[in-house]
Amino acid sequence: MQARNLSARISVLIGLAALPLLLVYFLYDPAHSALFPACPFHRLTGLDCPGCGSQRALYQLLHGHILDALGYNLMMVMALPLILYAAAVQAGNLFRRERRVIRFLYRPWFTKLVLAAVLVFWVARNLPFVPFSWLAA
Amino acid sequence: MEQQPVPQPGNGGQPVVPPKNWLVESILVTIFCCLPFGIVGIINASKVNSALAVGNYDEALRLSKEAGKWTKIGFFVGLALIVISVILQFVVGVAIFRRNSGSFGMP
Repeated sequence: MQARNLSARISVLIGLAALPLLLVYFLYDPAHSALFPACPFHRLTGLDCPGCGSQRALYQLLHGHILDALGYNLMMVMALPLILYAAAVQAGNLFRRERRVIRFLYRPWFTKLVLAAVLVFWVARNLPFVPFSWLAA
Repeated sequence: MEQQPVPQPGNGGQPVVPPKNWLVESILVTIFCCLPFGIVGIINASKVNSALAVGNYDEALRLSKEAGKWTKIGFFVGLALIVISVILQFVVGVAIFRRNSGSFGMP
């Protein structure tokens, strides 16, 4: 019981530790501040990685600007509901006797879909013409 | 010993709780931090799921531990990189600021 809850507890602790960071991302716009770490891949190659624009997107999301957030990183905004749902289930497991899991996360098709989505998004957002250039960070 | 297989009645045929595949954590790593570790994590999650799909629970458990190890390494390496990057940015920023204020002459 305790052992299998350990990872859930650690995840929740890391989540709680990250909460103050949200305040930083609410107060400062990464698009106009040197405070935030830039993506090493972008700095080296000039290309966007699948995560580029996430920080700017987060700032926009925290201000309720969903379209601006989508413009910075479509994948991050689309993945967020899944991440929040998984986090809620994980946190709930701390208070349940039986560990609950999200079934489709354990289906082979879903991991393959995620991998394909990441790779396609990575290539597509670096193509220098419309509509793909809309995906750039 | 992350998760014990626990019999779960009435969950659609599968008798055991699957071992953690670290998929969501890997997606987080991909989106917010360090791409290579994120993609390795997603591939590892895929391996766990494939083993589960053919009913090989022991193999899934082994792959799960492997996946967890790499996700944790990715998380801490990423954290370290971010901290170093922020410090470097700060140091360079201060240096530029000092040089500029020197050459333009503060009263």
